[in-house]
Amino acid sequence: MERRSFIKKAAVATTGAFALPYILPSGRLFAASGNRIVNHVVVCLYAGGVRNLETMHKAEGNLMPNLLSGTEGINPQIIGGMTDLPSPFPTKLQSYGTLFKEFRYAAGATGHFNAHSAVLTGHYNLVDVNLKQRPANPTIFEYYRKHNSPSMSALNAWWVSNSLGPYPALNFSNYPGYGALYGANYIQPGSVISQDALSVLGDPKNFSGVDLEKINKIRSFCDNNFAKSFTAGDAGITNTTEDALLLDQYIKDSYTEALAGNYDNPWSVPEYMSGDMRNVFYAEKIIERFKPELLVVNMQDVDVCHTNFTQYCNNIRRADYSVAHLWNTIQSTPQMANDTMLIVVPEHGRNLDPNTVIDAYGRYALDHNNDDTSREIFCLVAGPSGKVVQNQVITTVTGQTIDVIPTVAKALGFLNEIPSGMLQGSPLDQALV
Amino acid sequence: MTVRNTLAILLLLVGFTQYSCKKETLYNYEVEDVNVSRRDASKPNVKSTTEFISIAYSDVFGSTIPHDKLVKLQLAYSAFGDQKLIEQLVIRNFLQNTTNAIPSSQEMKGDVATFIQKSYVKFFGRNPNEYEAWYLKNMIDTDQSITPEIVYYGMMTSNEYRYY
Repeated sequence: MERRSFIKKAAVATTGAFALPYILPSGRLFAASGNRIVNHVVVCLYAGGVRNLETMHKAEGNLMPNLLSGTEGINPQIIGGMTDLPSPFPTKLQSYGTLFKEFRYAAGATGHFNAHSAVLTGHYNLVDVNLKQRPANPTIFEYYRKHNSPSMSALNAWWVSNSLGPYPALNFSNYPGYGALYGANYIQPGSVISQDALSVLGDPKNFSGVDLEKINKIRSFCDNNFAKSFTAGDAGITNTTEDALLLDQYIKDSYTEALAGNYDNPWSVPEYMSGDMRNVFYAEKIIERFKPELLVVNMQDVDVCHTNFTQYCNNIRRADYSVAHLWNTIQSTPQMANDTMLIVVPEHGRNLDPNTVIDAYGRYALDHNNDDTSREIFCLVAGPSGKVVQNQVITTVTGQTIDVIPTVAKALGFLNEIPSGMLQGSPLDQALV
Repeated sequence: MTVRNTLAILLLLVGFTQYSCKKETLYNYEVEDVNVSRRDASKPNVKSTTEFISIAYSDVFGSTIPHDKLVKLQLAYSAFGDQKLIEQLVIRNFLQNTTNAIPSSQEMKGDVATFIQKSYVKFFGRNPNEYEAWYLKNMIDTDQSITPEIVYYGMMTSNEYRYY
């Protein structure tokens, strides 16, 4: 080969290598930096306060038949208060991953928000909680959006919560250098996709594309004459114009579906769709529509245990059904099937000793006041074989709440990009191949 | 010396006095003092959720928002992370409601200058400056397809509308 020809071909090949993006099997345009284990992570907070006694140790029988192996029957004393549910997925979820049976919420008050915050920030809060303030440390969403390369839009990061109160504040922190610019899309579906919301937001004026151009011109003209900008921070998180249009359509379509009755009991479960089931259902709709790389969804119906132990057990079972349904949806969603890690973890447990409230089945209720039992939880890390250790059960005290974020960061390949010292925990390497 | 010569000398003297060097008049051009301030400086605060919804409703309907509607909107508003997106949805629902008090296209085009002036006072709490008034009037005059809803939506989703 002539020298000139060689140089020419080499130059073309090099240019092509840089110019042509890779279309990966996952649908991503570029390979992410770092070694990704999977391209999607879903964290499901089995929250509201569940004791290991009722879950892992099966004191009332196997209340989690979709997650856990075993055919232990339900305690006859409470079976009258239990709803018989079908199984949405044929295989026990624990066989798809590693079950840490003695996980710990090791420090901080055993309050719901405090412990949610610990999972989402990777830091225990050891001081008084100000429910009106955002977390002091970055959330997993901010770490992901700031340190993942290439950086991804907020459409890839979702926080789906079952209730309002302080929970909307968990989609980004006040930490300098992080914050709203890197926050997640937050939704509390029960309030956005509801009859009440539909009655006030369900009939918007639709402008044509040409009209929107004129509107943008007027808005830009006004904005150019006013120096302040209502953007990320005061305005919560801000999506790009293109993403905002997709979200607008998502809300509109949700109203159409709700009006058509498709959200009345979409899983066709006996009796009713519980709040937990509904929240997971809406998370599934987001998964199917946006295929986010990182989604966190919570459930909290088990907190009924403050006044009704039997209903608490029933809600553990409904939550178990919900997680299995979520797994089924993930495995039925192109791009996410076999490329998603699911982490299931309660935020904290409940007290060993009951309070004085007794239910219709003669069982005493339970609070959560920082005793040792209220710190005992579990964690299930499920995912594709070859990526996540399958069918493994760890029965010794291993892992804690603040290890969830490092595990997510490692799974998505940006753990090493996070400045040292910012995370307190370590990845749950025992679960990773 | 003849009389003619005398007259000539007199005329010459008069001419000198009229056209000879004289003290230059100094003109001092001054402008009146005008207090100039940045518009954003006079609006330092972001409207709260309740304020935004209540004011937007009043601006579009000309009446106070019913309590139950305010509560429903507040709930939906706080349940979504992208507040701009929800605000736009709120305003578009207001604009779609047939009971709103938006001027008709005919009214707007009948007196564009007044429509713009009233819109600025309504939405921004101030009169438009000359340039703002001219720009929008020109835009509306030269584009017959611009409706009051388009102008309202553009102004109500601008940054200035979010501050007070």
